[in-house]
Amino acid sequence: MPAAHRGIVSRRGPQPTGSYPHAHVHGDMVWVTAQAGRDPGSGELVEGGMAGQMDRAISNLEAILEECGSSLDRVVRTQIMYTDPSDVAAMDEVYARRFTAPLPVRTSWGVKFLAAEPGIELVRVQIDCVAAVG
Amino acid sequence: MSSDPTITIKEAPEPRGPYVHARQHGGLVYVTAQIGRDPHTGDFVKGGFEAEFNQAIDNLEAILKAAGSSLDRVVKAQIEFVEEKDLDAMNRIYGERFHDPLPARTSFGAAFLWKGAKVQIDCIATLD
Repeated sequence: MPAAHRGIVSRRGPQPTGSYPHAHVHGDMVWVTAQAGRDPGSGELVEGGMAGQMDRAISNLEAILEECGSSLDRVVRTQIMYTDPSDVAAMDEVYARRFTAPLPVRTSWGVKFLAAEPGIELVRVQIDCVAAVG
Repeated sequence: MSSDPTITIKEAPEPRGPYVHARQHGGLVYVTAQIGRDPHTGDFVKGGFEAEFNQAIDNLEAILKAAGSSLDRVVKAQIEFVEEKDLDAMNRIYGERFHDPLPARTSFGAAFLWKGAKVQIDCIATLD
């Protein structure tokens, strides 16, 4: 890839399950792959429904951002996809606790399904972001 | 951070969650997805899909203006809508509201949107 572009895979995020890194850095911005509530060690989805998954997904984002020289307070924009309209309150509660001013802009919407493997609890939410580096 | 990069205004519906209306970075302004809520009452406007989509674009326009940008400086728009039957109305209204140079656009059907919204639209625009 061109020298100005860098793909980042962090040991602190769950290992990617497809042909993508955790993040792509270019210039003073980092673009982070959508994260689900997977444990970075085991790759398994964490327990606790929406609240547990959202908290873990944001921790994964945070770890990846830090590896790239960024942080949650430098996130410019997030996108959230979720599967159940009744999860909104739990989602917002965790999000409000984890993101502090200056807050990013946000777009969220409901989807039919998110990637999951047989035999485990369904992925209820995923979140990606664009953030400033440096 | 030297100065607050975020913008939240009274001329668009108050954020109903932990986010701002817009945030600037690197010569661009990023805008939170807007739905068809009246900026003063916070309620959905009446009149179905067309009224909601027009109001959502009004909200986007107000936020862009406050940020020092405008609809004709949008580089990318993203639209989520719920009912496939609303596609033609979406395209028609979008065509009435956005003019050359048109932004790149991604639109798709969502399973559902917040509180039964029929459509939402966000964007990234330049500040030059």
